[in-house]
Amino acid sequence: MSNTSSEVAKGPHHSGGAAPSALSARNITKRFPGVLANDNVDFDVRPGEVHTLLGENGAGKSTLAAMLCGLYQPDSGTIARNGAPVVLSSPRAGLSHGIAMVHQHFRLVERFTVAENVVLGSRDLSYTLKRAELNDRVAEVAERYGLPVDPSATVGDLSVGQRQRVEIVKALYQGAEILLLDEPTAVLVPAEVEKLFENVHAMTATGKSIVFISHKLGEVVEISDRVTVLRNGRVTGHVSGRGSADTRELARLMVGRDIDLAVQRASHATGHEVLQIRDLSLTVNGIDVLSNISFNVHEGEMVGIAGVAGNGQKELADTIAGLVSPTSGSVSIGGSMSTDRGPIAARELGLAYVPEDRLGMGLVPSMSILDNLLLTRDRDTVVDRASVRPEANRLIDQFEIKANGPEHLARKLSGGNAQKVLLARELSGGRTATKLLVVCSPTRGLDVGAIETVRRLLDDARSAGQAILLISEDLDEIMSLADRILVLYRGAIVHETAGESAQLTTVGAAMAGLSQEVQK
Amino acid sequence: MNLPFRLAFEQRTETPRRLAVMVPLLSVLAAIVAGGIFLFATGYSPFETYSNMLSDGFFSSTGITDTLGLSTVLICTGIAAAFAFQMNLYNIGGEGQLYLGMIGGAWAGLFFGDRLPGFVMIPVVLLVGAACGALWIALPAFVRARLGTSEIVTTLLLTYIGASLVNHFIYRAGSYFRAPNTLFPQGRQVPDSAMLSPLGDTTMYPTFFMVTVLAVFLWWVVRRTEFGYRIQVISDSPRAARYAGISAQRTTVQVMMISGALSGLGGATLIVGTFGRLDPGIVVLGYGYAGIVIAALARNNMAAIIVSGILFAGLRTGGDKLQISTDTPIHIGVMLQGAILLFALGGEAFRRYRVRVVRAQTATAQGAAQ
Repeated sequence: MSNTSSEVAKGPHHSGGAAPSALSARNITKRFPGVLANDNVDFDVRPGEVHTLLGENGAGKSTLAAMLCGLYQPDSGTIARNGAPVVLSSPRAGLSHGIAMVHQHFRLVERFTVAENVVLGSRDLSYTLKRAELNDRVAEVAERYGLPVDPSATVGDLSVGQRQRVEIVKALYQGAEILLLDEPTAVLVPAEVEKLFENVHAMTATGKSIVFISHKLGEVVEISDRVTVLRNGRVTGHVSGRGSADTRELARLMVGRDIDLAVQRASHATGHEVLQIRDLSLTVNGIDVLSNISFNVHEGEMVGIAGVAGNGQKELADTIAGLVSPTSGSVSIGGSMSTDRGPIAARELGLAYVPEDRLGMGLVPSMSILDNLLLTRDRDTVVDRASVRPEANRLIDQFEIKANGPEHLARKLSGGNAQKVLLARELSGGRTATKLLVVCSPTRGLDVGAIETVRRLLDDARSAGQAILLISEDLDEIMSLADRILVLYRGAIVHETAGESAQLTTVGAAMAGLSQEVQK
Repeated sequence: MNLPFRLAFEQRTETPRRLAVMVPLLSVLAAIVAGGIFLFATGYSPFETYSNMLSDGFFSSTGITDTLGLSTVLICTGIAAAFAFQMNLYNIGGEGQLYLGMIGGAWAGLFFGDRLPGFVMIPVVLLVGAACGALWIALPAFVRARLGTSEIVTTLLLTYIGASLVNHFIYRAGSYFRAPNTLFPQGRQVPDSAMLSPLGDTTMYPTFFMVTVLAVFLWWVVRRTEFGYRIQVISDSPRAARYAGISAQRTTVQVMMISGALSGLGGATLIVGTFGRLDPGIVVLGYGYAGIVIAALARNNMAAIIVSGILFAGLRTGGDKLQISTDTPIHIGVMLQGAILLFALGGEAFRRYRVRVVRAQTATAQGAAQ
């Protein structure tokens, strides 16, 4: 259990070292078919404390959280609330013990108001909803914890950050003393993250306990009183003391080796323009999804498109890839016009495209790695798989894809390996050698080890002279990789800056639509 | 609400190979048991009835050839249904396309019969029948591809029009298809050159071998060709198809037309063998609908349809003969077919889910075998 356990105690913190645990789990083991998700895990959280569960995808942190809130039951081990053993047979049972989970994917009814969503599932409602009274009650709970929400607003009209706040208010309204926040920052822009952290502090100040689940090292260090690191279902280390943890050390505990996510930029001068976009506009159902976008990407250059999800990134990528015809404007690849000519023509001009949606768009889940390599290539009338097999084997080796061979089904690959298959296919060129690579959220949902590999592959492609358009919601990634950064907000480019001189606050403000400066 | 245990269905990440084989077999067995209970309750001996059906359907000398003869058209409608189903196109109007194949085949036989020799005539009759089947699905295929109109509704409704068309061509006085000078209206026999001879003294025709070869060929097409590759991409992830520049519209039309042609071919096999004329009795035989069940039982696997088609044909010939040999109603066979479909579809749950018995109010879930 503790092969690399490291205890870095940094003295008592504000909640007092000897306070009894609000919630504790001892020797928790949970097995799924073929996987030991949690192996003898100990975890506890005290009142007024933020205790983070840190780990890569598949490390077992979500499984542990699911058992702590009653979604799953452990195979063995005990869970205790304020020292007394409890059986959490369902999320409702968890709630009755004051434990609530805020899921990464919100569970809100978009057509309902905030107050309606908050009281949804409460068993003490009268048969007729007294809206005014409900609104007052919800507003009262929200104010107590400094979570400003409008109870009468419709959830569908709210931003992602506001919806998250509604989820938290809902948990508090239901009487939660312990809140489990599952990857809460994944969907937020920097300003919203800051706001969330303020809310977390407001809650801990009143004695609530927060279990924070994350794999982002920077924010973990910032918010946590204590950190428990999981790897392969086991606890590999505990670190205590706010702000005292060392990200390198945490990363090592998390991955099991030293990793390098250092800043990488183009090491040599960039060449000709490979991608030219001129006055590109796209209107879908009367809504301007893209308006008047113009920019270039050069050989050996990586341009990053930053922005909050839903500001036109997907449409921009699809338009460049020939999947969508723009309303006006043009796209050319390698000097030839590709507008309106479809995805195959764009690929023949040297395009490679890694869409955000890996399984279902980039890869066909029910097909093998081999068949997926054929997806964007020329295929003979009778598909000659034998001749592709050596290449498939070579790519599996070269990209270090963990698979049982070329026949391994795409849907049985882990997220990181699926992404590697996709990158392997797109980087290795199909119809022609790749000149332009469009990648969307290439590391989303991947663990640190895989992120390192994917970033290295992108950097290698850049060094090899390919032009890369990196579209990502992960601002850190864009800041550390891109040579030039463009910010997309409501379908327009509202900010442009060189990668090395980019300021997090300026770019973050532009992403939130606070930038007045509109550049071409 | 407060049972001491409950059944939990847990999704399987993959289906074990042995289950893929066991589930259809056990489904058939369960259907036979359920049918047996029904027989027993209605006063018939299940064992006697089943053994009669088995020997009449499979183990008597005329039984097996009758079964293989009937399976010819059933395999045809089975692969027709499966070919569309595998791309999530629910052509349930195979019945109507079969009628049209029969009309087309009968027309070709009557029109060219005296002018062309037999070795040309047989392919012509079959091809015209297939073409008519394809034509009958052309409109549903086109509106499905272009406008997304549900092919379930359009193909089904066209089946009723097809049935009316068959009746029209038989009952209308002076119809080209109608046999002259008969008291009871019936179809005009096609010339001998448009008909195959049965194998020896049986009701089985060489078209059986053609159809089985066709099923294996289509199995190969699905697995090994670019066309099959396209079908698999579109059926699994339409967005991946768009991403790769594969036209779902064009492939939809192609797949539906092929499905219709196969049903039409099934109708035409009834002209070159078995009937030899347009027979209004076809509209109550339900060969086209049976293809849906046969495809479902074979899980749309073209080669497995040969097996499920023969099984179904055996149940029908055995069931039909029951009424002659004993006083058991003919509908027993039909009921068993329905039961097999229900159990086969219900069995799917076991392929995709693992069933566990969960004791209530304990922290540990007790695993139990299905």
